Amino acid sequence: MKRAARGQVMPFFSIVMITIIVLFPIYWAIVTSLVPTHIVLSRNPPLVPPLSAMSFQAYVDVFTREAIFHWLLNSALVTSGAIVISLAISVLAGYSLSRFNTVAQLAAGYTMLLTKMLPVSLIVIPFFVMFTTFHMINNPIALMLANSSVGVPFATWMLKSFFDSIPRELEQAAMVDGCTPLGALWYVILPLARPGISAAAIYLAIISWSDLIFARTLTQDPDRWTMPVGIQNFIGEYEVEWASLMAAGMISLIPIIILFILLEPFLVSGLTQGSVR
Amino acid sequence: MTTAQYAGKATGQARGSKSDPGTRPVRRRRPVRRSHGPVGHSRGLAYLLLLPAFLSVIFLLAYPLYLVFTLALNERVGINFLQTREMNFGFANFEMVLTDNRTWHAVWNTVVYTAGSIIPAFLIGLALALLLNRQFPARRWIRSLIFLPWAVPGVIVSITFLWMLNTSFGVVNAQLRNLGIISGEIGWYTDPDVAMFSVILPTIWKGFPFFALTMLAALQAIPATLYEAARLDGATKFQLFRFVTWPGIRGPAVLVLILQTLWVMREFDIPFATTGGGPAGATETLGLLIYDEAFSYFRVGNAAALGVLLLLMALAIIVFARGPLRKEYF
Repeated sequence: MKRAARGQVMPFFSIVMITIIVLFPIYWAIVTSLVPTHIVLSRNPPLVPPLSAMSFQAYVDVFTREAIFHWLLNSALVTSGAIVISLAISVLAGYSLSRFNTVAQLAAGYTMLLTKMLPVSLIVIPFFVMFTTFHMINNPIALMLANSSVGVPFATWMLKSFFDSIPRELEQAAMVDGCTPLGALWYVILPLARPGISAAAIYLAIISWSDLIFARTLTQDPDRWTMPVGIQNFIGEYEVEWASLMAAGMISLIPIIILFILLEPFLVSGLTQGSVR
Repeated sequence: MTTAQYAGKATGQARGSKSDPGTRPVRRRRPVRRSHGPVGHSRGLAYLLLLPAFLSVIFLLAYPLYLVFTLALNERVGINFLQTREMNFGFANFEMVLTDNRTWHAVWNTVVYTAGSIIPAFLIGLALALLLNRQFPARRWIRSLIFLPWAVPGVIVSITFLWMLNTSFGVVNAQLRNLGIISGEIGWYTDPDVAMFSVILPTIWKGFPFFALTMLAALQAIPATLYEAARLDGATKFQLFRFVTWPGIRGPAVLVLILQTLWVMREFDIPFATTGGGPAGATETLGLLIYDEAFSYFRVGNAAALGVLLLLMALAIIVFARGPLRKEYF
């Protein structure tokens, strides 16, 4: 017994240490955003600043001085649009790939591989050419489509693997009972595939919410920027206001953290089956 | 709804066994031909369901790629290419790009950046997966927290590291001074000799969780009975890893290594937001150079030619790794 207990304490201790080291950058960003600049902006900043010095001034500043509210709204709009478009496409395609052995299966595999190796800074050039021609620069729909181009192949493959795990007998039974094939997909398979769809949705959310290059290139009006573009533009300013910058960063990180922690179990099961590929 | 709930449970179990890499069926060797489909399914429906995906691939992937090749092979091309449509076919863009020292410098930087990020991230991921595979308290929360960096947007990763590694006020320089490791300060992002390291560091931080995640999943699929049997036979700890653990995770590990290499090669956000290629081009990767050529110098033809070069590099990796790819991927 004693040996077993000791065998558990050491790994646990090291895991806690690793977690602290891994999370330090996020911790430090939060600290910087919460304490007055004069405390952090020193030659020897305290690792644990005094609690009494805490203030939300940087958050107030960043909201009053920058168009951050616009950026947040734009990010939310683009992300939800990209999720809806990509999911609608990939649920159907993933189901088809899972249930039928068509040539498309191999083609889908190669497409996945292609999107893995395709540089975003390359694909954004034809997007810029195309969307300029269609007068869609500054249009959020252009951003939704651009993000879908990256998201659809991943989400499709993820959902295909998930549909693979749902027994085919279920929709066969539904169809014997008089359901149409699409009805069986809608009423029987989709409810069962909810964990897989959630995982795909989180994955798409993270991709679109993080996107810098599409938004930076396909929008020019600062009111149309998304969070990453706005934040990146901070750095370019000649004197960086670190507290405000970190506050902006944390604001755009909060939705992702909430999503991630709530749905991480889905992600582990969904990711390990699908998007590894 | 009880039937559906029961079915959900059954699915969960089916899924558990499915993720076992050892027993995962290879599609080509599947005993029953699936093309007949279930009752009432038709081939037409299969393609109908694929139609939206097909259209999106055509308009958002195939046509843009076609445009890239047209731009690369078009001499004296401007950004308003679609309106003018004048085609001066030739290899001038490639010639210009391939004879430019800046290109080869960027190729070298890309190799250093990719290898320097991927190898440590893989090793950290493997070690963490082995550690996280044990039972310990608050496992679910700790696992979530350790995997969190994967979800942090590249720009946020960049500003956080820019601040931590700030030359005058960065916490890292301050702590290194306190520990007596350095006396002055290190210009993490301003000194050309260390800038690449400082761009690689955030890339590792964002990259290792995915390795840990996939290898943890593979580890959990190894049956405990294998370990028991090996222990009964008197295997040492190293032998357990060498003959039980590693064979169990080798497939997924090699696959994720290849795919993440392709992924990091084209990484844009972190180099762009931290150094933008500087100082003095010390961190200029091909991904950055492509963007610079297109949107800072408006030499779209050159940018497209560089893009084709980067694609060829990725293709070389795929050809080199075709064996494991064919085995694990398709």
